[in-house]
Amino acid sequence: MLKMNNIKKVFRTEVVETHALRDFSLNVDEGEFVAVTGPSGSGKTTFLNIAGLLETFTGGEYFLDGVDVKGLNDNQRSKLRNEKIGFIFQSFNLIPDLNLFDNVDVPLRYRAMNAKERKERIENALETVGLANRMKHIPSQLSGGQQQRVAIARALAGSPRFLLADEPTGNLDSEMAESVMSLLEDINQKGTTIIMVTHDPKLALRTPRSIAVKDGLVSEVVRKEAVSEANENVAAFA
Amino acid sequence: MEIKPILSALSRNKTGALLIALQIALTMTIIVNSVFMIQHRQGQMDRESGINEADTFILSYMGFAEDYNEKTQLIEDLNFIRELPGVVDAVQTNSAPLTGGGWSMSLATETGPDADDVGTAIYFVDDHGVNAFGVNLIAGRNFTADEIIWRERTSTKWPGQGVITKALAADLFEDDWQSALGKTVYISETQPINIVGIIDKMQAPWNGWSGVERTLLVPSYTEFGGARIFIRTEPGERDRLMTEIEEQLVANYKGRLIRRVRSMEEVRTDSYRSHNGMNTILKTLIICLTVVTALGIVGLASFSVNRRKKQIGTRRALGARKLDILRYFMVENFLITTFGVVLGAVMTIGLNMVLVDMLDLPKIDWYYIPAGMAVLWFIGLMAVFGPAKKACQISPALATRSV
Ligand SMILES: Nc1ncnc2c1ncn2[C@@H]1O[C@H](COP(=O)(O)OP(=O)(O)OP(=O)(O)O)[C@@H](O)[C@H]1O
Ligand SMILES: [Mg+2]
Repeated sequence: MLKMNNIKKVFRTEVVETHALRDFSLNVDEGEFVAVTGPSGSGKTTFLNIAGLLETFTGGEYFLDGVDVKGLNDNQRSKLRNEKIGFIFQSFNLIPDLNLFDNVDVPLRYRAMNAKERKERIENALETVGLANRMKHIPSQLSGGQQQRVAIARALAGSPRFLLADEPTGNLDSEMAESVMSLLEDINQKGTTIIMVTHDPKLALRTPRSIAVKDGLVSEVVRKEAVSEANENVAAFA
Repeated sequence: MEIKPILSALSRNKTGALLIALQIALTMTIIVNSVFMIQHRQGQMDRESGINEADTFILSYMGFAEDYNEKTQLIEDLNFIRELPGVVDAVQTNSAPLTGGGWSMSLATETGPDADDVGTAIYFVDDHGVNAFGVNLIAGRNFTADEIIWRERTSTKWPGQGVITKALAADLFEDDWQSALGKTVYISETQPINIVGIIDKMQAPWNGWSGVERTLLVPSYTEFGGARIFIRTEPGERDRLMTEIEEQLVANYKGRLIRRVRSMEEVRTDSYRSHNGMNTILKTLIICLTVVTALGIVGLASFSVNRRKKQIGTRRALGARKLDILRYFMVENFLITTFGVVLGAVMTIGLNMVLVDMLDLPKIDWYYIPAGMAVLWFIGLMAVFGPAKKACQISPALATRSV
């Protein structure tokens, strides 16, 4: 599904060169839920941005669903993002001037889809995250956890194969973080591949696989034996 | 299209958009009315006076000496000037088109104080008037030498013949100018004037008067203490003769003061000087307003792009192409501008109504409104293009990087 070989990413400014990723390699299979951990500045977000086609890379190769990403132009990348990838951001990134319905509608509008189908999808997505009764509210009228659930609804509405989440619980208290996490687990259960960057070791333990990034490299891959076992571990932690 | 969400986003950030829309409306109001006024003035300036302006000039003098004999001096002067090589003809007149000062009276087709009358300008000329002014006699005849009377300053007696313009004839005889020939009209309520000729065109002296095309020539010399002589030369001889004739007249008789020698071209320039000046001011105003409004749109659009960088990055991350971002800002601006020009259309008509009242301006032609709207739409789209182009360049990676 996602295949990265020796990805390099160098940020060049006038004064410094930052090697954000150095020989970053990773395979993620269809249906996996992978947690990504690592210290600040280790390259987690950079990896996610490249995986989500938000950024180009300096070297190496990346296949998304068998497609060599390197050869794509800006419009093709936009189209792939729109159709295959759902994004969840640490600070939610909802559009403050639009109500929940219109927020979830944003990615659908960039697809040739008729109004009826969009409406159905939006309502289903908001239903899934439990906010169907708030469609006319604007983001500032919601709590952080609710806002993140709207963002998840927005990511889900286009039925992506892939969900990329950069610290989705980073701005939430533990209770809200829990509700978001279990929502993601449900989504994964239904077949969506998820890659989630997190600073929270408890959450990282809950996923079947977690990788640790350090200095732009995958330093450690933890593959738990079975999901149920991992869940027990979490139970033990809690 | 994405008009609905753009509108709802706009409705939550009204102030800036409303101010720009208002500015667009005001700009349109002022620009369209200014253009209309410029065109109107230009139209007035483009009107022909009906006389030869290229080879003519007016000279006026006053007699002051004890021995100044008005009648003999005038005849002597006219004979002298008409004989000069290069002179086509000369005539004594009280005034001329474009000069701004003259004589007007009312004419009626019936006698009595209750008769419907028509105001007209009057030029006192002799049988050389038609030729000297270079006007076109299209019906009837010119005056004959024996018809010319002498008129003192206090006289109220009018000669019995007149030559009128086609426009005056049409106004007097219900649009049938040809029927005017040979008819009698009345001046000073009771004095008859027989219309012996009709000329194509000769303007009254006042260019702002609504009856500017109504003119009556009467066969009369005036004894008003001096003379104003209108002289027509061969092409190219005017400037030479202007100085020569002035010098010669002084040499011929010293008991008078030559007051003014002006070519008709100068007279025309002076006549429309304020028109020209006003048009220059209006043109400058139009340019300034256009620039200020365009800058205002650029400013608002740049501000709103900067304020929404994160949102633009997010939209890009969610699948918006560069073109979608460009379109978003173009459409948003189009909506603001549309609101502005619709409001502007109403305000334009409003201001025109005020101007019609205050400045005696005609009603604005309808097509100025859509034309003005189109121009401001265009200015709006041009102005927003730069900031929108910048918005396109915002990287989708901005969505994950905190700004
Ligand atoms: N646009 C950029 N220009 C220059 N350097 C950058 C840019 N983006 C990231 N970097 C650098 O790349 C390195 C990796 O950054 P990245 O954001 O991927 O780290 P991270 O693991 O996500 O950190 P955190 O946990 O704090 O979010 C850092 O040293 C960062 O300063
Ligand atoms: Mg990060």
